Order: sequence, then structure tokens, then C-alpha cells
Amino acid sequence: MCTGRIDPALAAKAFRKGLDGMLVVGCYFGDCHYISGNYQAKAKLDMARKLFAHIGLNPERLAFRQCSSGEASVFVKIVGEFTEKIKELGPLGAGADRFEASKLTKKMDIAEAVLAGEKIRWVIGKRTPFLQTGNMYGEIFTEHEFNRAIDMIIVEETEVQEILAGLREGAKSVKDLAASLSMPVEKVFRHILALKRRGFVALKRIAGRSPLYTLVPQEV
Amino acid sequence: MPANKSDDIRIGVFICHCGSNIAGYLDMEALGSYAESLPHVAFVQRNLYTCSEGGINEIKKAIGEKNLNRVVVASCTPRTHEPLFRSSCAEAGLNPYLFEMVNIRDQCSWVHMQEREDGTSKAKDLIRMGVAKAALLEPQNPIMSEVTPRAMIIGGGIAGMTAALALANRGYEVVVVERSDRLGGMLLNLNKLGPSMADAAELAEKTVKAVSCHPKITVFTGSSVTGVQGFIGKYSADIETPAGAKKIDLGVIIVATGARNLVPAGLFQYEGEKIVTQLELETRLKKGLASSLKDFVMIQCVGARNEERPYCSRICCQTAVKNALLIREQAPGSKVTILYRDMQMYGVENEEMFRDSKARGIRYVNYDPEKPPRVEGSSVVVYNALLGREMKLPFDLLALSTPLLSQEDSDETGKLLRVPVDENGFFLEGHVKLKPLDFATDGVFLCGSARFPANVREAVAQGLGAASRASIPLSKGSVVVEPIISVLANEDACRGCGLCVALCPYGALEIHKTEKGRKVRVIDVACKGCGVCAATCYQHALTINSFTDDQIEAQIGAFLG
Repeated sequence: MCTGRIDPALAAKAFRKGLDGMLVVGCYFGDCHYISGNYQAKAKLDMARKLFAHIGLNPERLAFRQCSSGEASVFVKIVGEFTEKIKELGPLGAGADRFEASKLTKKMDIAEAVLAGEKIRWVIGKRTPFLQTGNMYGEIFTEHEFNRAIDMIIVEETEVQEILAGLREGAKSVKDLAASLSMPVEKVFRHILALKRRGFVALKRIAGRSPLYTLVPQEV
Repeated sequence: MPANKSDDIRIGVFICHCGSNIAGYLDMEALGSYAESLPHVAFVQRNLYTCSEGGINEIKKAIGEKNLNRVVVASCTPRTHEPLFRSSCAEAGLNPYLFEMVNIRDQCSWVHMQEREDGTSKAKDLIRMGVAKAALLEPQNPIMSEVTPRAMIIGGGIAGMTAALALANRGYEVVVVERSDRLGGMLLNLNKLGPSMADAAELAEKTVKAVSCHPKITVFTGSSVTGVQGFIGKYSADIETPAGAKKIDLGVIIVATGARNLVPAGLFQYEGEKIVTQLELETRLKKGLASSLKDFVMIQCVGARNEERPYCSRICCQTAVKNALLIREQAPGSKVTILYRDMQMYGVENEEMFRDSKARGIRYVNYDPEKPPRVEGSSVVVYNALLGREMKLPFDLLALSTPLLSQEDSDETGKLLRVPVDENGFFLEGHVKLKPLDFATDGVFLCGSARFPANVREAVAQGLGAASRASIPLSKGSVVVEPIISVLANEDACRGCGLCVALCPYGALEIHKTEKGRKVRVIDVACKGCGVCAATCYQHALTINSFTDDQIEAQIGAFLG
């Protein structure tokens, strides 16, 4: 197995269960028995770090480092430094993160849903082809362009998952969702329409003058 | 994973003392009683050496007597001992993949020799995680696949020809694909081969003839490989020949594409007449030097070991010394001076040749790359650090030792075969020490200067070596592959999008049409189980045997208590 096996959704799950730090150590680039797995690992973990930072977990809790199997002293240094870093950050939610532990648990549920979700996985999976051979129109993207797209998707997907989590508690109106999530009404409305189009959300009934939206159960 | 299954899980945990390697630093009794307290654990035993005959027999006995259906051994490293413990399980009738190994020595007792309590506590964590994973293990069966008894060798130089003959003489069919219109490669340009001073033309002629006449060898000259599909044992290659395109089934592939010599355009006023490359000097020596030539200068590391090409081409020093000796033979009384940075004269014979050359009056002048020699008219001016001043060396012929470069299209060849090249474009072996002639991709091997600049003797040795490696699957007739590979666990979820196919480093995934539409298919024998596909699939349809999401999650869960 390779670092490329590490599913970023599993990292989110581990933090939700109370992990304080996660260090992934892979081979140097170009020096890996699995050829390109470490590139994939780094791309996915970089993305997860960005998402964690966005959602309120200190991103330094997740690290990707490289050393070769022959470099015991480098490995010891990497592990030692990371351990010190985590000690400095302290337990999850004790001050180094944007929220306290119980709120972080909820946030990590959202993070897991984002990282397990179709959109972000599709885009990160397309990273190598997009940067190297281009999309179906042959357009090759720069790292910068790609990262900008990822940043945008992280924000949007987090909003979408927050809305879905909100609806999991019961049918709600756009206005109520916006208030409970501190999100602009137009934004919530836009996401609700998109979710409705994709069959994730349906109109349940109209309460007064506000339509109430509800989740549509998904088949796996 | 059916939930009710956990009811009948009976795990046996064997904790090894490894003499005092583990027992000397951890509280073994505490580990034993801790393991007994873990869920599904039906039996715990501590052994002085679990890997000894006695220890193995205890495992086998317990599987039968205690009705164990999972075995965990907490001991040393799976790198050395997992195969042994697995086969012990198999001998006792337990599927060998229902075995899990926990490393409490290399990663615990050896690291925490001064921290008995913390070390013991970490060992408990590790055992708990291993047991949690073991409970979810599934039986697996090794994968078998047949091997087409034919090899393709890309490149008809001395390395490729040697490999071809070695395989053909063992009775396997060999296809040699050579890009140029004749066999021989760079050997055709060489004069004498150091340090034995054997004749290159003689060797070339003999080898080319043997290859061309061999009934088992088919040679395609003026041809190139344009496509390769498949995996070990079942490759299929598209070859573009002057007589049209061919498709050939193969079992193994050897890459022997060689290298090319750097033409030092713009360096030291190179013009190919009076100022030539070391390779061009070889050709001149082959024809015989003009008697008018008296003063010879050679400059080493031309266009090498700089920022653009940081590597040492290895063979230029011995070539220069060899040619200097040959010059002295052909033109007695001539002066030969070699300007060098460091002399790379590895091996006893090269060392002797070097000493011999000094004894025969060949001059060596060290130069500093910060103050490189320069050509002024018919002289080379070089700063001699020992003298502390510049020297002026007139020459009738100046030879520039330029490095061997990887083939311009090595990157494309690499992509074709799904094998890596290094930053200099040379092919990267599976492991520098343990698999020097294998690629990480099974069934593809390499030899000669395609791997790194090699002299003829080394190319021959590597050709024989690669042929030897390649003949292992050919002679077995089938390959058995570790089943810890990717599986399409949820076919219904797969949308056949191909996202994973593009990222698979081994070309082990393909999309095919089924009754349910486009679906991905794992080519078992080609998969190495890296897991990139499982971490990528947005439908979570793929997983890795023995490293499923459930199993990893169980380990994380167990770690966090």
C-alpha cells in the first residue's frame, strides 16, 4: 500500500473521532516504488488541509512529509518536529483551532462529507490530467489556476454540505437555513435550487409564504 | 461487510519476545493480559521466538485446537516474516490472508528502549489496532496468469543483442526491435574495448551474425514500438516496420534503448575536425591516425557535471585513458595530456590501466571548473593549481569527453511501457540495489546505457542479467500475484467514468462494457495495490483487499480508543 491510498475523507473522520494530529510520510517524488502514488497523496492532503483551514481546524494538524526508507535520522527529525508541533497546538479545540471541540466535531462531519463527495473528488482526481494533458478541449491548466478552482469548490461544497446537514434536522425554509448558517439568503437559495435540480432536495410544502425544503433519500 | 459475521470471529494473538529484543524493553505480561481483554480474541500466547519451529507449531496447533479463524502475530517486521507466518496459517488450513502482523519490535521496543512504560503502552495500541483490523479481514486467493513464451527487446545494441541471444539460447522466442537500419548500436562506432583492448568490430560482427542467424530471434530493423498493451505474461506490442505495422503477443519486455553522445556544439570551439568528441576520436583511431599528429589534448567533463547535467557519465574517464594509450601506440613519441576534474577509474583493471598510462608518460592536469580550460588558436590554456599559473598546451587534435545522454524519446518510451525515467531521462530501475535490472512494473526489464552510461562489458553483463530476470516468468509459464490489489467492491456504484483509469500508475484499470453499462475492470496481475484508485473514486466503488476503508477505519477507531 502507498500513501496514495490515503483517502482524505478518512483523515476528516479521524479528526472527528478526536485525533490531534496526522502525519503522512511518503517517498521522495520520483523515488517511489508506486511511481506516482505520492504525488496523488500530496495533492489530496494539500486539498484536505485547505478545507480544514476553511472549516476551522488548524491545518497544521495534518502534514505530508517525505523521506526515504534509508534515512532514519531524517525520519526521526520529521516525527520529532511534528510531535512538538502537535504538543504546541494542544488537544483538538483547545485554542489552536477556530472552534472548541464539540463544534469542531460537527465541522469535521461537514468536512468528511465534502471530502467523500463527488465534486471535490472528481476535480482532485482530474488534477494530474488537467495539469499534464489538459481537459477534453486540450486546455492545460496551471497549478495556480487549478488551486483557485479548488479553493472555490472548497467554499461552495462546504456551504452545500452545511445546508444538507441543516436539512437533515428537518424541512426548512431558505430564510431559516440562511439564518442558522449565517449565510446570505441568495446564496442559500442558489444552492437549494441546484440541489433540487440534482434531486437531493425537494419542496415539501409551503408554510405561510415560505416554501419548506426537505432532503430526498439517496440510493447508494 | 456483513455485520453478523463478527459473532464467529475467533482471533489468536501471538506475542513474540524475540529473545530479549522485545521482552527486554516492554512489559510482556501486561501485553499478554491486555490482548486477552480485546474483542474477538479467543487465544493469546507469548513465545520466546514465534518464528522458531516451536513457535510456528504453536500457531498451527492453536488454529486447530482453539478453532481460530484469524491470527495476529505481534513481533518483528512483515518485510521479513509475514510470508513465513502466512504460510504457517495456510499449512494449518487457514486462509493466509486472515493473518495480520503487528510490528512491536522495529517500530516499538527498539525505538523506546529507555521508555518501558510508554513503549508498553504504544505496543498495546498497536496490538489493539491489529486485532481490530484482523476482525474484518477477508480470505483472498492468489492470482494466477499464463505467460506467453516470447520476449521483446527494444534496442539492438550490444546490451539488447546479448539479452536476445541469452533468451533465445534458452529456447524462448525473441523479437528485437531496432530503430536504425542495422544492429549494433553504439558498438559500431567503437574501436578497442578497454581495458582488455578487444576489438569492437570483431565483437559487433560476431554478435550481429549470431542474432541475425538465430532461428528463435526475429529482428525488425528500421522499426519502432508504437504501442504496448497488457501486463506481465500477456503483453501485446504494436511495431511499425518498413514492411508495415505488426502486432505481436509477448510475455516480457526488455528495454535496451541505449544512449547517445552529447555533441558539444559551442563548447571549446568544437568543429569535428581538429576539435572532436572522444567518440569521434575512437572512429579516427579505428581508421588509423594521420602521422602528422603529434600533440594531443583531452578535456574531461565537457558539458557534464554542470547545472544542466549534474550527473557523472562514468565511462568517459576510462575511455580517455584507453584512447590515450592507443594514441601512444599509433603515434609513438606523441604527447598526450588529459585535463580532468576527478578521475573516475573504478575497478582494479581500470585502476591498473590508469597507473600504466602514467608510467607511459601520459600527462594529467587537474582543472578547476571555476577556471575551465579555454581554446586559443591551436592551444588549450588551462590554469594549473599545482603550479599556480596558466599552462599553454599546443594541440594537433583536441578530444572533448562528452557525457552519454539519455535518448531524446526516453520519456515517451517510458510512458508507452508505464515505467519511470529519472530527472536526466535515464530509465529508473525498481530498486537500485535489490532490483537493478527490473522495473517496478512486472515483466519489464532494463539493461545497458538506457539505465545509465555503461561500458560494453557492463552492457553485456546487464544484458545477461536482464535476460536472466526475464526468463523467470518465461520458464515458470505462469505468474502468481499477491491478491492485495484493487477490487471493484461495488459494481453498481461504478459509473465507468475512467477517473481512476487515468491515475493508475500501472495501467491496471480499464473500462469495459457490461449489461449494466460502462464499468471499470481491475486487471489483477497488473495491479500492485497502491490504492490510488480507491482514494480517488467519488462513488467509493473501488477498494483494496486487506486495506479496505472499513479496515482502515477500524484501525483508526481502535487507536483513538
